[in-house]
Amino acid sequence: MLRVADVRSGYGKLEILQSVSLAVGEGEIVGLIGPNGAGKSTLLKTAFGYLAPFAGEVALEGRPLVGLRPDQVVRLGVGYVAQAGGLFADMTVHENLLLGGYALRSSREARAAVDELYARFPLFAARRRQPAGSLSGGEQRILAVARALAVRPRLLLLDEPSAALAPRFIADVYDTIRALNGGGIAMLIVEQNVEAILAVAHRVFVLDLGRNAFDGTPAELRASDRIRRLYLGEDEG
Amino acid sequence: MLESLAEFAIQGIVLGGLYALFAVGLTLIFGVLDVINVAHGEFFAIGGYLAFAAIVVLHWPGAAGVAGAAVGTFLLGLGVYPLLLAPLKRRLGARPRGPLYLVLTLGLSTFLQSSLLAAAGGDYLRVPPYAGGVLDLSFTAVSHQRLLVLVVSIVLLGGLFLFLRFHREGLAVRAVAQNPDAAQAMGINLPRVFALTLALGVGLAGAGGALMAPLFNVYPTVGFPLTIKAFAITILGGMGNLAGALVASFLISLAEAFSVMLIPSEWQNAIAFAVMIVMLLLRPSGLLGGGGRR
Repeated sequence: MLRVADVRSGYGKLEILQSVSLAVGEGEIVGLIGPNGAGKSTLLKTAFGYLAPFAGEVALEGRPLVGLRPDQVVRLGVGYVAQAGGLFADMTVHENLLLGGYALRSSREARAAVDELYARFPLFAARRRQPAGSLSGGEQRILAVARALAVRPRLLLLDEPSAALAPRFIADVYDTIRALNGGGIAMLIVEQNVEAILAVAHRVFVLDLGRNAFDGTPAELRASDRIRRLYLGEDEG
Repeated sequence: MLESLAEFAIQGIVLGGLYALFAVGLTLIFGVLDVINVAHGEFFAIGGYLAFAAIVVLHWPGAAGVAGAAVGTFLLGLGVYPLLLAPLKRRLGARPRGPLYLVLTLGLSTFLQSSLLAAAGGDYLRVPPYAGGVLDLSFTAVSHQRLLVLVVSIVLLGGLFLFLRFHREGLAVRAVAQNPDAAQAMGINLPRVFALTLALGVGLAGAGGALMAPLFNVYPTVGFPLTIKAFAITILGGMGNLAGALVASFLISLAEAFSVMLIPSEWQNAIAFAVMIVMLLLRPSGLLGGGGRR
């Protein structure tokens, strides 16, 4: 579904990704892990159009994404949830969800999509007039995911959905991720919380210093002494 | 004494409507684009010239002249972002750009003033009142023209607030003001919203220029003092805060109106700047705090 091939990317002249490739298949959850500064978020931003790659290819179902702006990528069926959610904190829950449906053809379609979201997430229906910034951290993260669903994406890019959340909220967020994936949405998830992502991912990519360091299933990753040592913080032996 | 107070209050409220029309547009542009539009006053002047052309030269009815001037200024404003600001933004990338935009819009201000001077000459042009007569309130009288300015200002500002609150594109404008990256992830086309916001802001200034044309003379630099005063209003209300700009417009206009009871009238124009300096020293975020993201 999503193919990233030999991508070099970064900020200004600073090259963060030095040649990275990965793929996300239909309905798959792919985890992207690695130490700080490895380029995980940079890869997500490059795939979504926030950053133009210096070289390499990004394609969605064979269609090149390089050169498209994020607002154009959304219309191709890709949702993006930024680190910490990227909510419009001063706007209400309802306004945030309506904006989630902005890329739909009309206001009527957007309102219908929001009604569907209220049916799926009743908590937000009850709090529709509340400023999004007044929700708890976990609720904000789930609202951000719900908002990205308004345009019915086939692929979601999630940047550290569990960052800065208490454990019980992390469980809520990952329950939501599992349920959405059960409905057929593919996901590429950047995560620092390795245990959380290994529990849901079908495949995992490890990045290190802007390069691919591992590609395999969670079981294969756990079986790799070198990767376990480096990225799971486990002792040798 | 009471009659004088009431008279000054009415003068202040009418003037506040004009200030609000002007300052809310300036604040909207700053809140969304992070650009201080020094050329805002020139769009006020253009509104006046367009009203003159429509009403005096082409003999349009007053209402059509004002509407035409507002729409004309709006359309002109649509070109400012793609033709001027976007190319600079592309060249600069992620580098800080605020001061350069300030210089760019200062250049636009001078260019527009010179263009108006070349096209229409430096003469003071007069537009006949759109509404004759006065409203006699027994203790004072207010010209219908001034009341018209106030009523139309309220209608336009009310329309703007409703647009921002309920319309899909208005929500997009507010979203971009809060978080442009997240707005893009919603499918919002940033250049389009930037162009629309600039056009809305200067369109309000143009409408103000057209409305005030019968009260001020129309000449190339007529709007520049308003731009400077609007900076003071914007700082008082909180940079990028629309409600703050609205409140501050009336506070400044009322302070100016009442000040003539206490200080010589030649000091009246200094009131706004005295308030601005005090505000910057004591509460730089303004009365209602900054509304933008930055």
